[in-house]
Amino acid sequence: MSIKIIIKIKIILFGIALLTSSCLSSKSFQISPGRIVHYELYIKDSLVSFGGKEKRAIAVNGQIPMPTLTFTEGDTAEIVVHNLLNEGTSLHWHGLYLPNKEDGVPFLTQLPIAPNKTMIYRFAIKQSGTHWYHSHSGLQEQLGMYGSLILLKKREDPAFRNGIDDIPQIPVILSEWTNLKPENVHRMLHNASDWFAIKKGTTQSYTEAIKAGHFKTKITNEWKRMLAMDVSDVYYEKLLINGRNESQIKALTPSSPIFKSGEKIRLRISNGGASTYFWLSYAGGKMTVVANDGNDVEPIEVDRLIIGVSETYDVIVSIPAENTAYEFLATSEDRIRSSSLYLGSGVKQLTSPLPKLKYFEGMKMMNGMMNMDGSMDDMGMNMSLQKMDMNVVMYPEITGAIKKKDKAMKAMKMTEDNYKSNELSDIVTLNYAMLKATTSTTLPEASQLKELRFELSGNMNRYTWSMDNKVLSEVDKILIKKGENIRIILYNGSMMRHPMHLHGHDFRILNGQGAFAPLKNVLDIMPMETDTIEFNANLEGDWFFHCHILYHMMAGMNRVFSYENQAVNPYLPNKKWAYKKLQRESNQIHFMASNDFATNGNDGMAMLQNTRWSLSTEWRFGYMNTMGYETETHFGRYLGKMQWFMPFVGFDWRYRQQIGEINFQEHNVFGMLNSKDNRSLFTAGFDATLPMLVVFQAEVFQNGDFRFQLMREDIPISKRIRAGFMINTDKEYMFDLRYIIRKNIGIRTHYDSDMGFGVGINLNY
Amino acid sequence: MKKITSKILIALTIMLSITACNAQIKNAKTDTIKIYGNCGMCKKAIEKAGNVKKVSLVEWNIDTKMATLTFDTKQTNSAEILKRIALAGYDSDSFLSPDLAYSNLPNCCQYDRTKKTIAKTEAPKMKMDTANQAIQKSSLEIEESNQLNNIFDKYFEVKDALVKTDGALASAKSTALLSAIKAVKMDKLSMDVHLVWMKVLTDLQEDAEHMANTKDASHQREHFIRLSDNIYTLMKVAKYEQSVYYQHCPMANDGKGANWLSKENAIKNPYFGAQMLTCGKTVETIK
Ligand SMILES: [Cu+2]
Ligand SMILES: [Cu+2]
Repeated sequence: MSIKIIIKIKIILFGIALLTSSCLSSKSFQISPGRIVHYELYIKDSLVSFGGKEKRAIAVNGQIPMPTLTFTEGDTAEIVVHNLLNEGTSLHWHGLYLPNKEDGVPFLTQLPIAPNKTMIYRFAIKQSGTHWYHSHSGLQEQLGMYGSLILLKKREDPAFRNGIDDIPQIPVILSEWTNLKPENVHRMLHNASDWFAIKKGTTQSYTEAIKAGHFKTKITNEWKRMLAMDVSDVYYEKLLINGRNESQIKALTPSSPIFKSGEKIRLRISNGGASTYFWLSYAGGKMTVVANDGNDVEPIEVDRLIIGVSETYDVIVSIPAENTAYEFLATSEDRIRSSSLYLGSGVKQLTSPLPKLKYFEGMKMMNGMMNMDGSMDDMGMNMSLQKMDMNVVMYPEITGAIKKKDKAMKAMKMTEDNYKSNELSDIVTLNYAMLKATTSTTLPEASQLKELRFELSGNMNRYTWSMDNKVLSEVDKILIKKGENIRIILYNGSMMRHPMHLHGHDFRILNGQGAFAPLKNVLDIMPMETDTIEFNANLEGDWFFHCHILYHMMAGMNRVFSYENQAVNPYLPNKKWAYKKLQRESNQIHFMASNDFATNGNDGMAMLQNTRWSLSTEWRFGYMNTMGYETETHFGRYLGKMQWFMPFVGFDWRYRQQIGEINFQEHNVFGMLNSKDNRSLFTAGFDATLPMLVVFQAEVFQNGDFRFQLMREDIPISKRIRAGFMINTDKEYMFDLRYIIRKNIGIRTHYDSDMGFGVGINLNY
Repeated sequence: MKKITSKILIALTIMLSITACNAQIKNAKTDTIKIYGNCGMCKKAIEKAGNVKKVSLVEWNIDTKMATLTFDTKQTNSAEILKRIALAGYDSDSFLSPDLAYSNLPNCCQYDRTKKTIAKTEAPKMKMDTANQAIQKSSLEIEESNQLNNIFDKYFEVKDALVKTDGALASAKSTALLSAIKAVKMDKLSMDVHLVWMKVLTDLQEDAEHMANTKDASHQREHFIRLSDNIYTLMKVAKYEQSVYYQHCPMANDGKGANWLSKENAIKNPYFGAQMLTCGKTVETIK
């Protein structure tokens, strides 16, 4: 009985809606007199139908998102994790200062919790604020393993703010759902599959470009070797707020009175999405931002804000009128999907949805910003702290709707003002420069200031993401000393934005607020931005520093900060071995294959690849001996940041039966005798990706013959039609057209100099 | 080859027969719900927003304002349909349309929003307005300045819409400007203002009308050139409540240059919007 009373008091005191945790059994929620707060979590496979089809998900205590865990600063958390899955798991407490061994990163701070095993995480709560927790194992987060983690301030805390800390509060966790297996999403991204673009309607094919009057833009884009322009990589079937696409909260708890007009509510928002940035807007007027990543900031009124993957924001909204529910809208950055939460009761007042992006304007902007070598050119603009958003050129609500070609403004020089969203319109969008801490955050005096620089790097074509063009498997841990101050200067030289997260510490971002620089643990950094962060190394251990976009993290965009001379971690005595495991996990080998079952033969390819290496084989099999059989196998390594060059070694095998008596021989364009009919040769050569994404291949065979070849695949003719061609100095050529029916199936027609004309079904994986 | 063409033909006929299939709704359920609107145009817009092939069908009655929603209960529900209709600008008893969607409706469709009588947090502002009205009645002079102030205010809103290159918004704001122009009681204007007013009135009306009747920002901008000149002349005699900046962009009007008025000294170019936002300079400050 006493347990229940304590919980009740808590609710009355702080008015926290224990919405998601209401499903907890009373047994699993105990508060002992020593203020130990105990939770039991059962992790189990389950089936959900968020996306209209029944699919595998992972539920904790039978729910998605995981239950909201609530503590008060000064409590001791005791969380018992029961792994009922058939695979290892872990839980990471995002944004918390805790002993390194409780941090929940498999192979860095612990071993995975094995199937049917239990692990107890136990740590003191040394801070307050809105945080969240999630699995740090593989891609489990995408399947539902995210939940709110609310740390309350004590009443007597001098930092307690009336009107902010004592008003009704609602935990809000954002996420997204895909009907595909996350492993498959991951694989498809690495294989440059354009299926997601087809689903999103963002193929940006030539037909679409011409219709939009942007043919030249498209050509320039391909000339610069860029694939279609987008702001996010994955297509999701549904977006979720607290596990629902649409939901309504009429009162704090089912038994409390419904929200009155004029009442203020604090939303504690965490972005638990695996790869989605969300725009947040509200139908009932402006939102007041009061905290970020669990740290208080001076209240600031905005019309909207973007919340990066894994960031948290606390905002206060009000219910302006009686008998009306106001829409809190979360829209994915690509604006393909949204999710709504209605606050209040009665008729639902909607807010304006975000209009569709003007992709070709974005493409034009990218063309202007990208050098021929794939590096980005900021054109002398000083970019930092989200103040300038290059993407505003795509936002109709800021820069106007798509218009028919305006004549006068062709050769305009871009200036900084063209991208400052807040100066272009009366919509106030939050950026980092506006955040101001409530107390001084200057670092303690330290004997040493260590300065580190990282360039965030990567390319879309092969979906490699790295820092200084090195993935985790190519670098050692970065050693730091306890007590020293660390300053990190980050420059984003890649084409995507990255939410960089540091475990175990808050850092200050130097944002022009002097001593009141805000504290954060996630830094969203947009392309071409430079940001500076700093922190005091005050908590020993091995701490992950990584991009929190799940698929970028799994591609190796990670580093580890390791304190020198740290005590042995009892959960992970053999750190050397464990680090090797961790490195391997983020440089996985991906498989892809496709085969064309055509009227004139079978042809296809299969490929194994990781960040740098590629092993591929191509084949063409006729149905008769006279049509020939051939395979070419190449093993190569991609060089450079953009990976446009790949030297390789390989093996070629061919056989073809000649028709009739006369054994005529073929010569290539250099007059060399061609061994097309019977060949077993080793080769060496290279692939080079040229402008227009044409691949030039030069190859020399063991017998001294050589061959040059030009090839282009997947020219986007229309939304679903792709064209390709190949021509080489053996006088072979090929032209093909493919219609994509479904993710793995297409119809393909081609003409091949060896096998003639054919039509068939194309299957790919 | 022959074989292939015949196969393609078969495939085509199958596809055609599927699409030709009657768009009947399975698991059908019917709800009758009130949706606010005015005219035949509203009917079209409401039904278009609500209809999804084989999933939902909406029929709206102009006289009764009642809509019949027929939908597949396995795929959707009436809330989803009503939300789409609200996002197109039409209120129901379940959803209120976003203000922007409502204001983007053509004039004839802007039904009375009974639901909008709810007092918003802007309550103090409303009090000020009523206070203004009271003063207006007592003092002729204030009414005069208010009359033209209203026009200037509306002009600035039109300008802001053009800065955003938002043709629809500019059109709506021009409509408001036009009615402000029409509402002016000439006999209440002071002598000098009256004279200028008579000179610019026809042009003002014509330009505002053209701008209201199109959503094409480039056409609106053509009219905005003369409109701005006339507003400038007007403002030189009838003072505005704050400093106003007379600004010039040499590239506008196909390189011939054009002017506009702004309440801020910082340049936000209404002739080019984001494409050349800061092109131009202040040539005169009207105090
Ligand atoms: Cu995290
Ligand atoms: Cu992490």
